[in-house]
Amino acid sequence: MAQAILTKQERKQIKEGMWDKNPITFQVLGICSSLAVTTQLKTALVMCAALTFVVAMSNVVISLLRNMIPSKIRIIIQLSVISSLVIVADQFLRAYMYDVSKQLSVFVGLIITNCIVMGRAEAYAMANPPRQSFIDGLGNGLGYSAVLILVAIGREILGSGTLLGYPVVPRFMYDHGYVNCGIMVLAPGAFFLLGMIIWIQRALSGYTEQH
Amino acid sequence: MQRQSNQYTFMFALAVCAICSLAIASVSEGLKSRKELNVALDIKKNILKAVGLKEGLPKKATAKEVLSVYESKIEETVIDDNGEIVEAKKPGDIQEGEALHPLYIYKESGQAVSYCFPIIGKGLWSTLYGYFALEPDAMTVRGITFYKHGETPGLGAEIERDWFLNNFKGKKIWDVRSGALMPTQVVKGKVAGVIPEEKQEFYVDGISGATITGKGVSQMVDRWVHAYEPFLKKIRKQ
Repeated sequence: MAQAILTKQERKQIKEGMWDKNPITFQVLGICSSLAVTTQLKTALVMCAALTFVVAMSNVVISLLRNMIPSKIRIIIQLSVISSLVIVADQFLRAYMYDVSKQLSVFVGLIITNCIVMGRAEAYAMANPPRQSFIDGLGNGLGYSAVLILVAIGREILGSGTLLGYPVVPRFMYDHGYVNCGIMVLAPGAFFLLGMIIWIQRALSGYTEQH
Repeated sequence: MQRQSNQYTFMFALAVCAICSLAIASVSEGLKSRKELNVALDIKKNILKAVGLKEGLPKKATAKEVLSVYESKIEETVIDDNGEIVEAKKPGDIQEGEALHPLYIYKESGQAVSYCFPIIGKGLWSTLYGYFALEPDAMTVRGITFYKHGETPGLGAEIERDWFLNNFKGKKIWDVRSGALMPTQVVKGKVAGVIPEEKQEFYVDGISGATITGKGVSQMVDRWVHAYEPFLKKIRKQ
């Protein structure tokens, strides 16, 4: 089934975004939002969906326009397209998921400044046809999402003892003196988890710094 | 036209701007009614939160549940500058520039449990919108909420967190000893360190890193408590 939809090349492309060239663990981009929205899994999921939508769609639009964009103003054109898409995503969240959109507050708007989105537009979509660009955006969005979701799961369980708002740490553990780890709710908690995820991922994928 | 010429560049930029703004405007317009519904519901939820319902709303209350609780418990009234209740007017009827103020009365079996009114004022970056609720004695704070602001997440935005809002509960706006109005103020730092003990009931802890937002909160509480004082005075006399 998957073969029919995606060619081997395209699957490799998605894997590259998610694993070998994961924007967070490999390029260490988009850290700001991965710290800010990961105290709960729910906000992280919504953020991931919004970012994946924006990065995939902006890649398509930029790729369609790539032969028409004057090089002098290409960055600002990319930004216009990206910010329009972000506003569209934000409007939909406000209309259909008001509570989550309030929790995410400025961070949805800040997708505009997420280096992953513009990085993919400038580095990939400007030079490749729409279909590949879409796949590339999707791969990178999913790669970002995977890390965000891992961090959010860790933070919500350790910091609040819940997952998606449902309690997962059993009652008797609290009765026996277990307390939620407060630092996980704060930004440093995200740094610790993120650092460990980057370490593990790089160890497994055999990444080495170039000197 | 050459792709690198100035003329082409301008035309291209113009076209992108036009298309982008058209797209955004139509999405925003198309979702307008839904967004407005959400905002109106959120305001009602905030009023219910400020007045401190005796039976709290369930955590995942549906829009319908919120509305039915709101309609059965909250009486929407309007008062004028002299603190008189204006009959046959609802907060929604107030025109801009009219010297009328909305007042929400939370009643349990006919008895007023809380008086609640909107507070609006300036924070650091943005205008803060919220509700302020008093006990039936008209001198003790029952609750406060903020439902709209654009303060810095993690700093000023902490004003909408429960730990900050709960500090207000039980604080006073009226000094019984001197018989003077003392609207609750946010201090810089912790109350215990900077305010003498006999005055602590008029102050709440500030948020570190958000002194100006705290000042804004103090100013708006002060302003609106003064604005509603003619009405509150009457309640206290009763």
